Amino acid sequence: MAQLLNDDIIKQIQEVFAGLKNPVHLMFFGSKHDCPYCDDTRQLVEEVAAISDMLSFAVYDMETDGDLAAKYNVDKAPGLVIAAREEEQITDFGVRLSGIPSGHEFTSLIQDIILVSNRDSGLNPQTRAFLKGLDKPILLQVFVTPT
Amino acid sequence: MIQAEMVEATEFPELSMRHGVSGVPQTTINDGKAHVVGAVPEQNLLAEIQRVVTK
Repeated sequence: MAQLLNDDIIKQIQEVFAGLKNPVHLMFFGSKHDCPYCDDTRQLVEEVAAISDMLSFAVYDMETDGDLAAKYNVDKAPGLVIAAREEEQITDFGVRLSGIPSGHEFTSLIQDIILVSNRDSGLNPQTRAFLKGLDKPILLQVFVTPT
Repeated sequence: MIQAEMVEATEFPELSMRHGVSGVPQTTINDGKAHVVGAVPEQNLLAEIQRVVTK
């Protein structure tokens, strides 16, 4: 398959990724069934991961790696977990992308990587204080369209 | 405790329809307990989360 990212885009991303502070692990979950965007998404994320040494990339299958998908609460394909990594230790911050991050959402992918790399949500102190005290899980699903 | 998931609406039409997504971005909290339409300020989203967890 032809490369999805052109040299110009790669150069721009290289510039932003030069500031990455800590390693980020990208876990892609695909499916062989009814997933028209799985191949493109896998390739796109793989190309992004190749841009910086701070990024690692792994490919999983929703069916054959069902236990891992369940562990990370991934129920859609293509699904992407953007996690922190220290050596072999993966820390999940709960950041997920479901569907292809193309168009405007490509920026979301890049921003999410930077956010996780910085290990800082950027939220204000009151928000942090409240969220720290949560005793039941919260799922925020942000619906977007790529255009 | 918190999971934040970007969902590409056109690829998951059943879920989008179930949550009545008509404009984007829409943030749905805990599978439909609350919906926030638009890119709202942080405190507005926080207020909605607080409403969901306290009710």
